[in-house]
Amino acid sequence: MELHRFRRELDVWLDDHADELAPETGLDHAAVPTLDDHMAQIAKVRRLTFDAGWARWGWPERVGGLGGTSLVRAYLSEALTVRDLVYSGVYSMPEVLGPSVIAFAPPELSATMLPPLLRGDEVWCQGFSEPGTGSNLGSLTCRSVRTDDGWRVTGQKVWTSLAQYAQRCVLLTRSGTVESAHRGITALFVDMDTPGITPRPIETMHGEPEFCEVFFDDVLVPFDRTLGKEGDGWAFAMDLLPYERSTSLWQRAAFLHRRLADALAQADADLIDPAKLGEVTQLLYAFRARSRATVHRMAAGEPLGAETSIDKVLLASSEQAVFDLVGDALPEAITLGDDVTSTRWRSEFLYSRAASIYGGSSEIQRNIIARRLLDLGNDR
Amino acid sequence: MSGSTLEGADLALFERSVRAATEQHTGDALDAALVELGWTDALSFDTRAAVSRLFELQGEACARSSALGRVVAFALDQELDDATAIVLPAIGRVDAPAVGGRVRGLATSVRASMFVVATTAAGFAGSTVDTATLETRVVHGVDPELALVEVHGEIARPDAGAVDWVAAVELAQLALAHELVGVSRRALALAREHALERIQFGQPIAMFQAVRHRLAEALVAVETAAAVIDAAWLDVTPVTASMAKASAGRSARVVAKHCQQVLAGIGFTTEHDLHLYLRRIWALDQLFGSSAVLTKRLGQDLLASRELPPLLPL
Repeated sequence: MELHRFRRELDVWLDDHADELAPETGLDHAAVPTLDDHMAQIAKVRRLTFDAGWARWGWPERVGGLGGTSLVRAYLSEALTVRDLVYSGVYSMPEVLGPSVIAFAPPELSATMLPPLLRGDEVWCQGFSEPGTGSNLGSLTCRSVRTDDGWRVTGQKVWTSLAQYAQRCVLLTRSGTVESAHRGITALFVDMDTPGITPRPIETMHGEPEFCEVFFDDVLVPFDRTLGKEGDGWAFAMDLLPYERSTSLWQRAAFLHRRLADALAQADADLIDPAKLGEVTQLLYAFRARSRATVHRMAAGEPLGAETSIDKVLLASSEQAVFDLVGDALPEAITLGDDVTSTRWRSEFLYSRAASIYGGSSEIQRNIIARRLLDLGNDR
Repeated sequence: MSGSTLEGADLALFERSVRAATEQHTGDALDAALVELGWTDALSFDTRAAVSRLFELQGEACARSSALGRVVAFALDQELDDATAIVLPAIGRVDAPAVGGRVRGLATSVRASMFVVATTAAGFAGSTVDTATLETRVVHGVDPELALVEVHGEIARPDAGAVDWVAAVELAQLALAHELVGVSRRALALAREHALERIQFGQPIAMFQAVRHRLAEALVAVETAAAVIDAAWLDVTPVTASMAKASAGRSARVVAKHCQQVLAGIGFTTEHDLHLYLRRIWALDQLFGSSAVLTKRLGQDLLASRELPPLLPL
């Protein structure tokens, strides 16, 4: 289905089903929604949009999709976000993990696993970072050893979003020697209920325990759960990274636009500096313009690469600029309020501090821009 | 604004001719070359291609032409002969150059007559006046190579009828935004070259992370402005054109700051070309509204309406 028709028909459907789609907890309710509530709401919205077909468009037919341009996936995420139907921070996980799993997994595995993900029956998590492996992914040490039964995995991951909810984990493991660096990495598709896996949520300053550390103790993973071949883990990770920076950033930009509009409607005028408001609006428009171009390039089948580091830098600077402005515009909500509305503003303000850290810090992005886009030579 | 568009090989050929013209000529010679290669015609049948290609390349070459006046005349729907120049807003301003008979403006060159747009009670109206009745001064200023002309004086009641000044501002702001991106790209290229050649502590300074990050920030700034301009062309309005100009101006200033710091001492001299590009940035940022003024004005409008501009559609 092409974008314009999808947009028109989806908008009508969302309006017609507004009551069904609305969260059961949230701003109209007395209690502050928890991450459990957000996850339940996301699952409900995925189920309703999948069963009505919307969440299947833009995904290949061989994994339960209805085919067509990936632009409609970006629009679906935007439409749900501007209507405030989904918790933005973790909504886009299928957009990040889905495409690379489709590309690397055995066809029967992706055909089985994608539909429950897209329908919200299951949650996936991404086991990449480790305590000793932040930005330097090639140094990871979570060990996978070939045995007669399959891979035996032992090690620890960290910053694994939603591991406590996840049924599956897309896991990078060290199958070669540590010296083999990026060559000796193998990607596995792991069932989270396998004996030996222990996720532990990490308490963060914004109040939602989205991230976990995950311990793997002699975990058996069948060989047919290998993504690509042994040693393809680095290629898998490189394939995946741009997906973190296309549809999901477009969705985040829609969220920021919605929340800046909310702040502008709610704040006392004398608490907003017009010059700052103008600059933040322009910056957000710039982020959106950049992201739009990236989403269109992806839909046209163009390879995405290092240039998406610019998108990530713009996400960080615009998200922090928006919430810096909100901090001054709504000081009671950010600093004092303990009601539902204030708690949400404060959580979002605090979460924005992480935007220049997660998914490759702004410094790492600048290193990539310098080396790959400006061709300044290798600095290591 | 445009009937057919330049595409594929035609667009590539057009771009090559414009590049050659801007690299080889400046001033009156560039104006003549642009007429020769058909840029003036292209302006009417593919406005976006004509404006975006010329101004970006003119910026990269740090060349000067009367094209900004041509663009304004086109948006005002005025057929200008070679003997007439358009009066642009005064430095730092967006408003039409004449109010209540008093003219304060700029021009890209001195011609026998000047076309002046005035703000009137009913809107905007234009008139052609004999340049001899006005005071003109070729500006040295921060960017002598740009050779702007300051125009002062009094005019009688405008007589050329109503004109669409808002459309002229939109198109001029987009043109200047492209030019600022072109100047920025070239300034960044010069700084990059220097960083790779300049050896200190036994290695090119491009190996130092502080230098690399400044240049990376400069590239982010350039690409940010370019993305905003592309988006603005999808839906040209006073708000999107002004955001494009403001973003390009702010980005260019970021580029100027980082590049001059990377070039350090030599970048403060006239022995290296960088100063020409920095001067151009500071001058262009002040034409048709500086980034600071346009940004504050946008914020004031948003505060008054309490609404953000509509989302950029996918």
